[in-house]
Amino acid sequence: MAQSEILLVEDDPDDEALTLRALKQSRIQAKVTVARDGVEALEYLHGKGLQDGSERVLCPQLVLLDLNIPRISGLEVLRRLRADERTRGMPVVVFTSSKEEQDLVTSYSLGVNSYIRKPVDFSEFAQAVNQLGLYWLQLNELPPHGPA
Amino acid sequence: MADRTPRTKPAKLPSWNSRTQLMFHRFLESAPDAMLITNEHGKILIANTNTERLFGYSHHELVGQSVEQLMPERYRRNHLGHRASYFAEPRVRAMGSALDLFGLRRDGTEFPIEISLSPLPTKEAMLISSAIRDVTERQRTKQALGHAKELAEAASRELEAFSYSVAHDLRAPLRSIAGFSQAVLDDYGAQLDEEGQSHLNRIRAAANRLAGLIDDLLALSRVSRSELRREPVDLTRLGREIAGRLQQGQGGRAIELNIAEGMLVRGDPRLLAIALENLIGNALKFTRNRQQTRIELGLTETPVSPQTFFVRDNGAGFDMAHAERLFGAFQRLHRVTEFEGSGIGLATVQRIIHRHGGRIWADAAVDRGATFYFTL
Repeated sequence: MAQSEILLVEDDPDDEALTLRALKQSRIQAKVTVARDGVEALEYLHGKGLQDGSERVLCPQLVLLDLNIPRISGLEVLRRLRADERTRGMPVVVFTSSKEEQDLVTSYSLGVNSYIRKPVDFSEFAQAVNQLGLYWLQLNELPPHGPA
Repeated sequence: MADRTPRTKPAKLPSWNSRTQLMFHRFLESAPDAMLITNEHGKILIANTNTERLFGYSHHELVGQSVEQLMPERYRRNHLGHRASYFAEPRVRAMGSALDLFGLRRDGTEFPIEISLSPLPTKEAMLISSAIRDVTERQRTKQALGHAKELAEAASRELEAFSYSVAHDLRAPLRSIAGFSQAVLDDYGAQLDEEGQSHLNRIRAAANRLAGLIDDLLALSRVSRSELRREPVDLTRLGREIAGRLQQGQGGRAIELNIAEGMLVRGDPRLLAIALENLIGNALKFTRNRQQTRIELGLTETPVSPQTFFVRDNGAGFDMAHAERLFGAFQRLHRVTEFEGSGIGLATVQRIIHRHGGRIWADAAVDRGATFYFTL
């Protein structure tokens, strides 16, 4: 069976380390790819840089998207993912520090699947990551040839 | 045939004797504005003292002169045309509130004015009476107001941007502090003695406290930033929802909750929810050590208003001697070790109540509970 994959879009190395640590603690079996800005995220999801050279879209089971990333913002990445029919149905969870209403409203209007505010306390953080992993990688079902 | 159409009798004008002349003269002089009577050739027939004062001319420099001398040169030619059309169709006309009109003083300086005109028919000819007002002060005030509004809007935008960056940028390092202290504890805790572990726990706890503080400050700033909506709000239902939700985190304590029926107000539902959350949350917090918790949300009459709302609890209370500190930001009346909290909650509630135009005050005694009264 193909291994589950999570695309983590995150530029803060500490948050990246903590997220990976939390995933390891939760014993969720998943390959984690990290994109450190919006451009890298889109290029990965829309197939550039695939080894076999074909334009096939890579299909992680989950995209964890921070909003505060360089080059192209998280919200813009979300907009472009939803605008492209190859990634329109891809599970995207915004995972961010912000609880600002504007960010919430815009994310949902752009079609995000879920919006999680990163807790400061690590045990809460780990619990959130654990729940995300269990829900999206184990409980959630995706069409056999990828979403969208 | 005799014409039987009823005819309205013309109003009887007072006969023009010296008494009426005096009254007329005094009347003219008492007017706060410059008052003029001109004929169809623009010649000034009568001018009051205010005209002299406003324009800087003496009486004999006004009477018999052309009214055009009182306006800047660039208006004079058009004014001839205006005069002609006015006489063709004379009516009461107020001018200047939408237009930019200027008067010209004897010394050559200009000033903004408003003019109103009224036809004055006489036996000999049609005359115009006019009142002229100096609106320099009003323009200045309007400009100052516009400027102040711009400043306020700019400040508000800056605050918005600042709050937004606080939401993002301050929490991430805190998360690192909390997370990596926890990581050290988890991975190397066995190698640390009790004190070492305690240090790390303090670091974690401090980071969490700071995060809570930031959230409270953000909420406080959001209260000031957001627009106040005025809608009908069912305070009874809101109170029940909030109390129900907060009770869930209380681990099955015995809580007696009394909420008065039918409390309908006009206000911003979101802000009122935050206020009640703070007040009821506080009530739950400070009654934690009670055998039987009693919390009440109700309506009563006080000297301040016949419609005063209150939240009452039978908890730890506080010493009224410190009451002025109650609503200050970061002011706390209890030790952190007794009752946790940032001290911002009540400052937030006060700001919300004040934005609704209401008042808030408290009454309490140590160990005898507290009551918070507010009006909207």
